[in-house]
Amino acid sequence: MLREITIGQYYPVSSLIHRLDPRVKIIGTLVYIVSLFLFDSFAGLAVAVVFLGALLFLSKVPLRYTLKGLKPILVLLIMTVLFNFFLTPGEVIWKFGVFKITKEGLYRGAFFGCRLLLLILGSSLMTFTTTPVQLTDGLERLLKPLSWIGVPVHDVAMMMSIALRFIPILLEETDKIMKAQQARGADFESGNILRRVKAMVPIFIPLLLSAFRRAFDLALAMEARCYRGGKGRTKMRPLRFKLRDWLALVYLAVYLTAVIILRRWL
Amino acid sequence: MGIITTDNLVFEYIRRDENGDRIGEKRAIDGVSLDVEKGQFIAVLGHNGSGKSTMAKHLNALLTPTGGTVLVCGMNTADDDSLWDIRKSAGMVFQNPDNQIIATVVEDDVAFGPENLGVPAEEIERRVTESLKAVGMEDHRADSPNHLSGGQKQRVAVAGIMAMKPECIIMDEPTAMLDPNGRKEVLETVHRLNREEGITVILITHYMSEVTDADRVIVMDHGKVAMQGTPREIFKRLDELQELGLDAPQATILAAELRRRGIPLPEGILSVTEILEAYRALPEQYQVSDPYKNIPEHIEESFTELKKDEAPLLELEHVSYTYSPKTAYEKKAIKDVSLQIRQGEFVCLIGHTGSGKSTLIQMLNGLEKPTDGRVLFRGEDINERKYDRRALRSKVGLVFQYPEHQLFESTILKDVCFGPKNQGLSEEEQRKRAEGALRLVGISEDIWNDSPLEISGGQKRRVAIAGVLAMHPEVLILDEPTAGLDPQGRDEILSEISRIHREAGITVVLVSHSMEDVAKYANWVHVMDGGKLLYAGKPAIVFSHMEKLKKVGLGVPQVTEIMRGLFPQEKRPAMDFITIEDAVRALCPADGR
Repeated sequence: MLREITIGQYYPVSSLIHRLDPRVKIIGTLVYIVSLFLFDSFAGLAVAVVFLGALLFLSKVPLRYTLKGLKPILVLLIMTVLFNFFLTPGEVIWKFGVFKITKEGLYRGAFFGCRLLLLILGSSLMTFTTTPVQLTDGLERLLKPLSWIGVPVHDVAMMMSIALRFIPILLEETDKIMKAQQARGADFESGNILRRVKAMVPIFIPLLLSAFRRAFDLALAMEARCYRGGKGRTKMRPLRFKLRDWLALVYLAVYLTAVIILRRWL
Repeated sequence: MGIITTDNLVFEYIRRDENGDRIGEKRAIDGVSLDVEKGQFIAVLGHNGSGKSTMAKHLNALLTPTGGTVLVCGMNTADDDSLWDIRKSAGMVFQNPDNQIIATVVEDDVAFGPENLGVPAEEIERRVTESLKAVGMEDHRADSPNHLSGGQKQRVAVAGIMAMKPECIIMDEPTAMLDPNGRKEVLETVHRLNREEGITVILITHYMSEVTDADRVIVMDHGKVAMQGTPREIFKRLDELQELGLDAPQATILAAELRRRGIPLPEGILSVTEILEAYRALPEQYQVSDPYKNIPEHIEESFTELKKDEAPLLELEHVSYTYSPKTAYEKKAIKDVSLQIRQGEFVCLIGHTGSGKSTLIQMLNGLEKPTDGRVLFRGEDINERKYDRRALRSKVGLVFQYPEHQLFESTILKDVCFGPKNQGLSEEEQRKRAEGALRLVGISEDIWNDSPLEISGGQKRRVAIAGVLAMHPEVLILDEPTAGLDPQGRDEILSEISRIHREAGITVVLVSHSMEDVAKYANWVHVMDGGKLLYAGKPAIVFSHMEKLKKVGLGVPQVTEIMRGLFPQEKRPAMDFITIEDAVRALCPADGR
């Protein structure tokens, strides 16, 4: 059951967006998020919708798949909208007991709901079109300047990619340990919260031990394959900007400038 | 001078007490001198704790000697400056396939070594392609390692070493966690690399069948070299090998048994082909007439009649199981299986990885629910809403693979009490049951209050099995209880299970990959293939389907192969010879009289 949780599900097709350098996609996502916060009207959001729509179309990720990805955050979205509906002061248009909806509330609820929706759609476009490995690579390169002031950028990136490799393995292991303890009569489902937390001990201890065992093995295997940190390391496919990446950056710059100018009128 | 030489190598672990003070040392390697020549295939044998893995770690400078020297391609491993050159020249493959793959994509993992060495990008790309081709994994280049089988993962690990352009590959029990097909895959790959690319191979293993093709075999015991020579020279000394806690292929043992009875077979027979040739070359007076002629033609019914009127203890009725139904990952694990397990039997379940046997045993105690069909325990449907499945789990005890990984309590005794505690028994009763179970698996009383994490691998496994036995199950299901153990450990666990079956009268369901073990212990066998039940019956009858079993990649005991090789049959016999005793009796008729 734990295996069914997926985060940032990469959608494997070949498209222009998929082929872009991950650094461009990270920068692009940031630009897009900034643009969402620069606008405070529906007309402004419409501009962002056009921008995102065009990219989604280019990415060849089916719309249905995109929308399905929204399911886990639906609750958060509805909460945001409802809180705004009920808790914004202003001209009351509907009232029931302590609950009242104001005109301003309706507007704000709809606006923040849309903004949040666009925010999530935009960032999931990045994870749909970029593998976790590419993302890590891109982040490592983008943050490289930080290593000059002593931030261990390479090490953090290595940790991230190892985590990506072992998350599915540890999830599967959790599943197995749970079943094994259930076979010994363990009960994870009944009782109050304290009892349930206590029932987790027979899962967490073996899991922790296994994680340490794996970490030890992996460290040995990495050393045996001459790993000695980022120094002097090369890459099989180093990230290189191609013409399309430069063009994409220009496009982003144009979009950001346009947003800043349009902001006055929209 | 050879490519790897050790001169009087000594390694001591320093043992410390809780405060970190030195309380003594343990000599793991005690004066080992080796000389490995370029292009050789060396096999190192030894039971767990014989020092073979510690020695392997010295050969690529993961450990440095306490005394003596290790030279790899002329470089001293104690010299820090040549550390990376040594590791590049002598690559190492480890036991656990999952814990040595670093990247989330196969090709990225193969590139990891050359990347660390600072090889230019185009060159890495070329090496990755070549290495993946050399191990036959080029089609899986862009796959995630999580979707590969154990054998495929180990081949990726080998490719990762090959991409560093090594002189030598050291393999530390690379097949211990694999199924027979995975083992074959990996061995064929390294033999090919040795033959075609001239790579020196040092293979550490405790499977005797893996060393028969080596140029030289080194047997280790207590940190010393106990025997050394060609496989034939080693296998001639069968008794010594068995004393060192190692086994030998059935062909070797059978030949030795026949020699003991005066049949003049040569010493040091290694394989089925060799024993067949040697036997055929015997003078006429030693040849016997076809023993298959003595087997009645219709034997099957008389066996299946066994206990027919008695109600089965566990029963599957047209059971199917589908993983993630109605999604892209939908997978039919079990397809319309019906089978019965009768009280008091020792049932074996065989089938290769992915045949559905793990899912099947989890349905027997209600951990998995069939998508279709019914599972009955003593005639009651265990998936009925009102059925008490938690209580069922103490009656149908399930021991998973590598059960020692689920130990978690501070003492052995407490850990074994976990099951009885969950059954809601009184503390006194819990303790009584735990003690009984520990005695049953042969864990001595003086370590009951030790941590279950600080005992040997074989002992841990026994403690874990005791944890299930303490619930007093009527059925004990074990999923490959011998996986990863050395030959002696395997024998001990199996004979203990067999004793528990006999003495405590517990019905046993054993999942196994070893046809020899199945032949020795089972009185009923279920064969799974591709989610379906292929055969069910007495082992001697099931193994008579030799051709079909081989076709689905399962095989039969080596003895059966030898007997069929000696006496080819036109049609399938009603039953077959499946143990060494069977074969000896058939081949030495005089002996019985």
